[in-house]
Amino acid sequence: MSMTKPMPDALEIQEINFESVKRKQRVKSFTKGMLFLLPSIVLFGVFLFYPLFKTMYLSFFLTNARGETTVFVGLQNYIEMFTSPIFHQSMKSTFLFVLYTVPTTIIIALLLAVLANEKLKGIGFFRTIFSSTMGISVAAASVFWLYMFHPSIGFLNRILNLIGLESIGWLTDPNWALIAVAVTTIWMNLGFTFLVLLGGLQSIDSYLYESADIDGAGYFYKLRRITIPMLSPTLFFVITVTIINAFQTFGQIDILTQGGPQNTTNLIVYSIYREAFSNYQFGTASAQAIVLFIIILVMTIIQFKLGERKVHYQ
Amino acid sequence: MKKQFLLSSLMVLLVVFLAACSSSESSETEAEAEASTGSGNESETTDNSESKAKQVVTFWHSMGGAGQEALNAIVESYNSSQDEIQVNAEYQGTYDESLTKFNAVAGSDSAPTMIQTFEIGTKAMINSGQIAPIQEFIDADGYDMSGLEENITNYYSLDGTFYSMPFNSSTPVMYYNKDAFEAAGLDPEAAPETFEEIIEANKAIAKANPKMKGFALQAYGWLWEQLLANQGALLLNNDNGRSETPTEIGWSEEEGKSIFNWVKQMVDDETFANYGTNGDNMVAGFLAGDVAMFLQSSASSRDVIDNAPFEVGIAYLPHPEEKERQGVVIGGASLWMIDSKPEEEKKAAWEFMKFLQTPEVQAQWHVGTGYFAINPSAYGEQVVVDAYAEKPQLQVTVDQLQDTKSSFATQGALMDMLPEGRKIMETALETVYNGGDVDEAYNTAVEQFNAAIQKANAARGE
Repeated sequence: MSMTKPMPDALEIQEINFESVKRKQRVKSFTKGMLFLLPSIVLFGVFLFYPLFKTMYLSFFLTNARGETTVFVGLQNYIEMFTSPIFHQSMKSTFLFVLYTVPTTIIIALLLAVLANEKLKGIGFFRTIFSSTMGISVAAASVFWLYMFHPSIGFLNRILNLIGLESIGWLTDPNWALIAVAVTTIWMNLGFTFLVLLGGLQSIDSYLYESADIDGAGYFYKLRRITIPMLSPTLFFVITVTIINAFQTFGQIDILTQGGPQNTTNLIVYSIYREAFSNYQFGTASAQAIVLFIIILVMTIIQFKLGERKVHYQ
Repeated sequence: MKKQFLLSSLMVLLVVFLAACSSSESSETEAEAEASTGSGNESETTDNSESKAKQVVTFWHSMGGAGQEALNAIVESYNSSQDEIQVNAEYQGTYDESLTKFNAVAGSDSAPTMIQTFEIGTKAMINSGQIAPIQEFIDADGYDMSGLEENITNYYSLDGTFYSMPFNSSTPVMYYNKDAFEAAGLDPEAAPETFEEIIEANKAIAKANPKMKGFALQAYGWLWEQLLANQGALLLNNDNGRSETPTEIGWSEEEGKSIFNWVKQMVDDETFANYGTNGDNMVAGFLAGDVAMFLQSSASSRDVIDNAPFEVGIAYLPHPEEKERQGVVIGGASLWMIDSKPEEEKKAAWEFMKFLQTPEVQAQWHVGTGYFAINPSAYGEQVVVDAYAEKPQLQVTVDQLQDTKSSFATQGALMDMLPEGRKIMETALETVYNGGDVDEAYNTAVEQFNAAIQKANAARGE
């Protein structure tokens, strides 16, 4: 600005032109960019943002059976939710469930993947077997486990009886039900997690191992110093996806326990479903959905902040 | 190269798989609803082209298994019996699922002409404003409803108005293993009638066969409602919601706790088989000889009798010793007419509803499923007489209904939060099954039940 002072007229005109051209260009490139983004913005808008805002809106109302708003209640749905022992139980179960399933799934899958990564004769057969649960639908797997857990004619209780132990009410005992559902979930998720981890293992360059071999490194040293660090992006991806999946568990709950016994397996997504479609309280359900949204959002942010530091991208 | 190609194709597969995973869960119900309505439209159009004059009626029902077979046979025989009306029966999942789909399409062209909904949905359907009361058609047609079973019409008539057409009705009965009774030295022809007698019988059974439990009560809100009604207790105040909108529970502490204490006693005696909320497991356990008695809908009687490798007895629902037996509330479902449909279509649906009430159809339905005949003259039909001669237990279910004393308690409750109330009672029962404290479980349940009533009243915004 100070430069323009001596010759105000000419320079000022130039500068205005410059500014407006710049602005025009910016608008132009912005519109261009928006045009390119339009398809995804429209899709996101219709399928994600609109439902999200609608959910927020609904959470401040009471509704009739068709989900139409009837009475504005402000934050009452939230207050009721946070004071409700059923919701507390639901949150507790959800976090416990995540704790039971995520580490177990990943550790077992990693173990299997490391084993299946060995170049042995007939390893393809084992790779197929280990990843086979990926091809089974939630419904089929749950029904299969439902029979395994049957109190009197189920396979698991027969084994227990055979070795002289008492039968366990897998799905009816509040101490066991969540574990039973977790076992089912781990079994179901194993195939997918295994496959992703195996893919990650196979993409590690073999020259790293070769030079380690030359240096005389042992098997576990290589595992700790090469395999795990090189696998970290895949592990990071698997952890994020598994956690989100665990929070959103629904199918197996619906088939195995319907949230019982005593609400111990009433995980948050099932609780939302029940509030909305069996109690027709869409307001309460929406409030719970918002809580779930915030939890997953926070978890993901934390993971990215922590993960970025630890993950080694090649 | 080959390896790289394999890997990349694997990645593509993964992406597809992931995409399928994330979208399938949220859009499943919508897709299902769309698919079903889509197929409905398809069949409509094909039917139209085949015989252009036929009036198509879309009928959503929730009858799976044996019920679906029996219903399809009835619909088929109706379609072939005349050439003016074509009824398309479409299975839409459980009552809950069907109602959810209905709420999504109500008022649009995809809505069905008639829908089958469970008895506790009665109030919600009336409040929805989407239905045409059956009374309109009864009046216009001069149809006589007095031929139908009185205990059934009692439930569905409100202030003398019929909103829906009763169709499949059942009541709970007690099934018992006659062979096990004999082995325990009990009289297989005289089943225990009271809570106290059951406790005694349990002990005898456990003594004779330590591996067998005496009694199973599925944690099912409907059974809780029935056990209350059998004592003459109301579920909701204001005459079970029949004189005015209820504001709180209708049973007394003594009446409510009697059931909890009975269960607690059996749990302490270790004669109680806990199958949680799973009715199928309970029936499987009964058939496998793991439990000697259980309560379940009479609609299962055909299945249970046919599949049991032993003699099955059917008896009345038990009651506490100091209370007189009042009888049972009619359960099951009724048929609703959707208001937004063209007049012609509704008339055609009404014709079909009338067909369903005829003694011949009801006889076939009763024998094929174990649901009651809505029309008592069906019991005189030869099919029914033959079936009773072969399986006299089937008759007990009918006798129990006809012995029921008509009162507000046995007419059953009307309220739109009843499904939620059932879940609350189920949780409370499960708490006791797992050794929880009766007082605590009971008080929590009552508190939540009352809160649910108040919330439902508030949500109506009146």
